[in-house]
Amino acid sequence: MSSISAEEELEDLFDSIADAKQRELHDTPAGAPSASAHAAGAAQPSISPTDLYTRIGNLARQLHDALSAIGADKVLTRVAKEVPDARDRLSYIARVTEQAADRVLAAVEVAQATHAQLTASTDALAPRWERFFARDMSLQDFRQLACDTRMHFAESQGKSGVIGAQLHEIMMAQDFQDLTGQVIQKLTVLVGDFESQLLRFLIEALPPEKQAEYSEELSGPSVNGKGADVVSDQAQVDDLLESLGF
Amino acid sequence: MENSNLKFLVVDDFSTMRRIVRNLLKELGYQDADEAEDGQVALQKLRAGKYDFVVCDINMPNMNGFELLVAMRAEESLKKTPVLVVSAEAKKEDIVKAAQSGANGYIVKPFTKATLEEKLGKILSKLEQQGA
Repeated sequence: MSSISAEEELEDLFDSIADAKQRELHDTPAGAPSASAHAAGAAQPSISPTDLYTRIGNLARQLHDALSAIGADKVLTRVAKEVPDARDRLSYIARVTEQAADRVLAAVEVAQATHAQLTASTDALAPRWERFFARDMSLQDFRQLACDTRMHFAESQGKSGVIGAQLHEIMMAQDFQDLTGQVIQKLTVLVGDFESQLLRFLIEALPPEKQAEYSEELSGPSVNGKGADVVSDQAQVDDLLESLGF
Repeated sequence: MENSNLKFLVVDDFSTMRRIVRNLLKELGYQDADEAEDGQVALQKLRAGKYDFVVCDINMPNMNGFELLVAMRAEESLKKTPVLVVSAEAKKEDIVKAAQSGANGYIVKPFTKATLEEKLGKILSKLEQQGA
């Protein structure tokens, strides 16, 4: 109940702002967009002792190995172990895709059962009509056939409505693709950022002459799969991690 | 019913969602719906053709829904075109920002046909009252 009233509250808030804005749009000429603020912040981890450096180095090695060798899906699992938010996102994807699959299968089962009933009813009537057209039917049987056919039409209307509703349900269940797709896009960015930040951190600890060499080579994440650049980046990343003992 | 002749533009970067919205509109009696995959493409289509109603996502590449709203409201020919936002973002700040940017309605994904019908009806009746 409380979530419904919160929803209603939000809707009222939207309506009050939207109504004022719409009045403004109707009353004033175009070209005066409203002011809107957009704030974004990024947390900076605080780094202290040397064992932290070692652990982060190992983490970078694991992440890089995963990115370059295993494939994106397994990388996501790896990152999920390290980043609680990512784990939540992956759980969300698992939950939403499971719900969608359940919805689709449930709808298909209902539609199949209804379709089977319709087919059985049609299959039962068809040979009787064949008999009628072959003049192989008594008046009594024909009366019964007419009654049964009338009932079949009435039932068909209801049953085709049921099948239509299940098709609608199957269509609506596909909204998971949009919802999970957005989360996957965010995760992909997070994984790439995570790797490049870890590598940059390692580069900062290198001697100055090596720092310049690696900084140029690792100026961007190597997860976009663009041919030779990626191979070169991965080799550089391997060299870097090896030279640091990871 | 004259509203059934309305021409819609469905703006979403996910083709699945565009198809779902178009199918729902069809089920509600609105046969005429076009699609755009982001705000930029939507703006080009809106400038080139006559659309009566926009159903639009927020998170999109190139030009997001907020930017599309602001761009539309800054153009004389588009400033009154009704826009229903359909977004996965349920944060209060996003909903407020959409209203401030000129949205006429806001639906949080996932949603049902009944919700879409109710919001469309609400927006259309408000526009009728305003005599737009």
